[in-house]
Parts: sequence; structure tokens; C-alpha cells
Amino acid sequence: MSRLPGLFNSFDNLDQITPEKIAFWLKSVPEYKILENYLANRILYPQTHALTEFDMQIDLAILREALKNNSSIREPKKTNSLLGDNPFLNTTMRKILIPADFLNFVPNLLNLVQVFIDAFLLKRKRQDFFQDLWTIVLTGDIDEVVGSILMPQFDGNGGVIDFKIQNKNYKIQQGNLELIPCPKSRCEIAYKLEKGKLLGKQENAFEVYGGKLGLVVDGRDN
Amino acid sequence: MKQFVPVRLRVEKNAVTRITRALNGRGTLNVRVGQQISPEEIIGSSTISAGFRTINLSSLLSVAPAEVERLLVRKLNQRIYKGELLAQKKGWLGKKIVTAPTDGILDFLNNKTGELRITFMPKKVNLPAGVFGIVEAVDQERGQIIIRTEVCRIYGMLGSGHFREGILRILSRKDELISKSGVKPEYEGNILVGGSLYLKEAISTAISIGVSGIITGGIDAGDYRAVASGRLVFPKKIDNDVGISIVVCEGFGSIPIGMDIFETLQNFEGKFILIDGNKSSVILPSFLSSCMVKIKSTKLPDLPKTGFSDTDRTTIISELKIGLKVRVVGNSYFGEQGKLVAVNDSLSLLPSGIYDYLATVETARRKIQVPVANLEIIM
Repeated sequence: MSRLPGLFNSFDNLDQITPEKIAFWLKSVPEYKILENYLANRILYPQTHALTEFDMQIDLAILREALKNNSSIREPKKTNSLLGDNPFLNTTMRKILIPADFLNFVPNLLNLVQVFIDAFLLKRKRQDFFQDLWTIVLTGDIDEVVGSILMPQFDGNGGVIDFKIQNKNYKIQQGNLELIPCPKSRCEIAYKLEKGKLLGKQENAFEVYGGKLGLVVDGRDN
Repeated sequence: MKQFVPVRLRVEKNAVTRITRALNGRGTLNVRVGQQISPEEIIGSSTISAGFRTINLSSLLSVAPAEVERLLVRKLNQRIYKGELLAQKKGWLGKKIVTAPTDGILDFLNNKTGELRITFMPKKVNLPAGVFGIVEAVDQERGQIIIRTEVCRIYGMLGSGHFREGILRILSRKDELISKSGVKPEYEGNILVGGSLYLKEAISTAISIGVSGIITGGIDAGDYRAVASGRLVFPKKIDNDVGISIVVCEGFGSIPIGMDIFETLQNFEGKFILIDGNKSSVILPSFLSSCMVKIKSTKLPDLPKTGFSDTDRTTIISELKIGLKVRVVGNSYFGEQGKLVAVNDSLSLLPSGIYDYLATVETARRKIQVPVANLEIIM
């Protein structure tokens, strides 16, 4: 059967997502019936585009839940312990794998990365401090590294992290998610944290992947 | 730049096809292969026994169960008709009587509980042809007849329920909500065409009245789950039935029935039609005797050994061209239909942040602009 591409084509169990779960990600929540009908029409007409900003917010909320369901279904299998079974997350190599054709439906790459962080990383129990750093890869005919995610771990409240990247200084408060441009393929960064650690240290300098997105620093509580 | 969108077959007009008519229960078929038939012709008859009803005479007469048999005024295995005297008790304080609640046969009395079982009388049911056509196959064992006939066929987006038949009744405009009060007892056995949405209570009332089917523009996803085994996934692999057949023409939520389908249905108001919820299709047999000319001259592929095959509904993708009839399937202007009058040469930024080519569609009332991705070509 011919099929046009759609944002949710990769997911089988969209109808298992409840309106309550979609509503969790929305600032302004309509009647649950409206959300349930919206989701059902997305299943029925997967090729359609979100027209309004609010439609896009609902699509992103559905995508978060679809990714979460996807990981919870696939993670326990352990058929390939090196690569894992989740097609969107490689835990061994610490890579977030975002299909490039998702950008046809969510053109804002930072929004898309945030959706993947929310679905896979935000509540994830970190087994070691290396999981503070993830590489963002757009997958398709050719895989493209577009940047990195840094997830500092703060102690208590009011934490701040100071970055120095390419001779520029950035200060990021605990609770914020920010994007620092770094178009080069490799970026040297130096950081200093108050009330927290990144990669197990309060202060350090190292090199990460950059790219057309750059560095996403997620200081939100997790 | 060439744009491609799905093509949706929604209304197939004047198609010669095969339909199956089946007896309800065991019976005999009175036609032979090659015979020409007309809608009012009785092509078979069957006898159906619809079960039994139990009444507790002990409690109704306020006596011990063992005394009930003595108070019966009819003997077991006798016929009784609704309203006839069934049992009575005379006493100092007056007389207590029980009348038959239904036609039937007094089948069994339980002396330990005082319960009487009345088996409903077998009912003879005639099967009218319902269509003009030619008999192609007769299966006495299964009680099925395959008829070559001319129909209009409507393809909905989704549905639920077994193959049913009834008289088509249009309840409202194509864009009205149908509430409980809109479904009246006299619609028993009918197939109702509603507006944009049947409210949950209207669907429940239709089931309890015995409505055969519902054709609607939209349905709430929660109500659809209730009639479709709790799932929304398409295509479904299992057949569902909750005692009514439902065909949803557009999608989820309140969406007016498309003009193409609504106008076709209007032409068949008061006529005999067939509905198959599980295949999301409605069959509208031609009611003009002149259709026999076309039926006789049309030869269909040989019948498969197992009966007749389903219609192929593979989705196809086609190039969008000016002048084509299109339908909007995105969240804004959902279900609107019209003629495609223009497609922009360059990409436009939508409020959602997505870039897409905008198409201008001229509907019956206005011109609207929608992203190309939110269009389907309709046939």
C-alpha cells in the first residue's frame, strides 16, 4: 500500500496514549475529548501538517508519549546489548538518534531535541556520570551529527553553570534549557559549576561534538 | 513543483456488482440461478426462534413454588398469546391474575422455584430481494443468494458492525448534532443518516430501539472505542458488532458529512439499502427497473469458490492538478470539499512553524487556503 510520510508512521500503538498524558505536556489544556479526537485523526490521516501553533504543541506532546511508549516496549528485550533495541536512543554510544524526516513535521530542531530529552533522558536514572553528555545525530540516508546535549546535575536549588566556549562566556541557571551555538564539528568547552557537577566534576575542560544545532544545556531538574 | 496527495474513493456510482442476501435462520430459498428478480420479490423464507422468557409465578401470585402448577389455567406445551390469562389465585382478599407477557409456548415449569419458561413462537420471516438483479448463485445450505445488481457504493473512513439492511432515513442536515431525542422508536430497523456527530446517548438509544445502522460525518473517539473493541488502530483485523452498524464518513469529532456522500444518500431516502460497518461501506441498490439492461449486459469476473471477493481499496497517491475535486483532512476546515483552483509556487510558513505549499480550494461557500499536505483528491 502506498503511504505518504508522516510524523507518527514509526509508531504502532498511538491509540494507547491517553488524553491525560497528552495534556500533561500542554500549557493550556482543552477538553480531553478534543485531545482524544485530535489523536485519533492523526492516526487516521498521518500525512497531515499541524496548521496552528497549538496543533504543533499537541503533536509534540503526542510525539513525547509515543517515544516513551516506544522505549518502554523495546528496552526490556536486550537482544543487542551493544546497540540496544530503541531505534531512537543508543545508550552505549550515548547518542540521540532523530530521523531527519521528522524535521518535515517539526522544523524547529531545538524543539525536536527537547521532545527527545523529555521522552528519554529527563527522568532517566543515570548509571554513571558519562550519561551527562549525549551526541545528537540526525539519521537518514546519511547520518549527521548536529550537536551535543549537556545535562549538569545540580545539588539543591539556585545552581549556576558557567561555560566558556570559543572565547565566549555563558551563564546558565538551574531550571533552564538553553542552546549555545557551536557550528564547528568539535567544540572545546570549559565549565565551572556552583552547587553541582557535570561529568562528575565541578570544574573541567573537554571537547564535544558541535554542529548545525550546537550545544543544548539542559539545567532542568530531573 | 509537482505535489502528490492520497486519492480517496468515496462514492462509486452505478456499479454493477454482486451482493449477498442471506436468510435469518434456517429456511428455504425460492430462486434459481439465472432468474431475474425485482426488489419486492420474496426470494426465500426462514423460521426463527428468538429464545425464551422466564417469569416467576410464585412471586407474582404470592404462593409457594409447589402450588404454582395448580394455579396455571393453561397446560404446559400449549400455545398462549400476549395478554391471555396465564394463571390466577382466588382468595378471601380478592383475586390475583397473571397474563401472558408475550406470544409463545408454555415450555417448562420449575416446581422448586416457581419459574415458568415461555418459549417464543417460531416466526416465519420472508426475505425480499431488495434489489433488481440476476441470481448468480444459490447456497441452500447456508441460506445465501448471490445477486448481480447495480448499486451506488459509499466508502466511509471507519466503522463497526455486521452487514445489515434497512430503509434509509435522513434525520438532519449534514452538519447537525444528533441527540437522543432525535432517535425515535419508529426508526426500528431503519438506517439513519445523521449530521456531523451522534452523541453517545443517541447511539445507545439507537441500539436499544433496534435501529439497523447509522451513517454519520464524525464520531467521538471514546464512543468509537466503545463499539470497536476499545481500539482506534486501522485497519482493524477483527470484526466488531454491538447490535448496530455504524459508518463514519469523515473522521473523529464533529465533522459534517461531505457533500458528495450526503447528496448521494439524499437520492436514496426511503429506499432499501445495505450497510457494512466493519467494511465501512454502504450499498445503495438501484431502484430503477431500467438498471436491468445494464445488469444483463455486464459480465463480472467468475465467482471465487468461497463466495464473492471484497472490493479492493488500496490507497493510491496521485499528482495534484488544478480543477480536481479535493477534500481537506487537516485540523482546520476539516471535511470541507471543493475544487482546487491554485497551488502556490513557493513554500509558505504556517503558524505552526512548518513550511508547506498552500493550495486554494473553492468550496460551495468560500475560497480557503490550506497546506497541500492536508488535502486528498476525492472520487
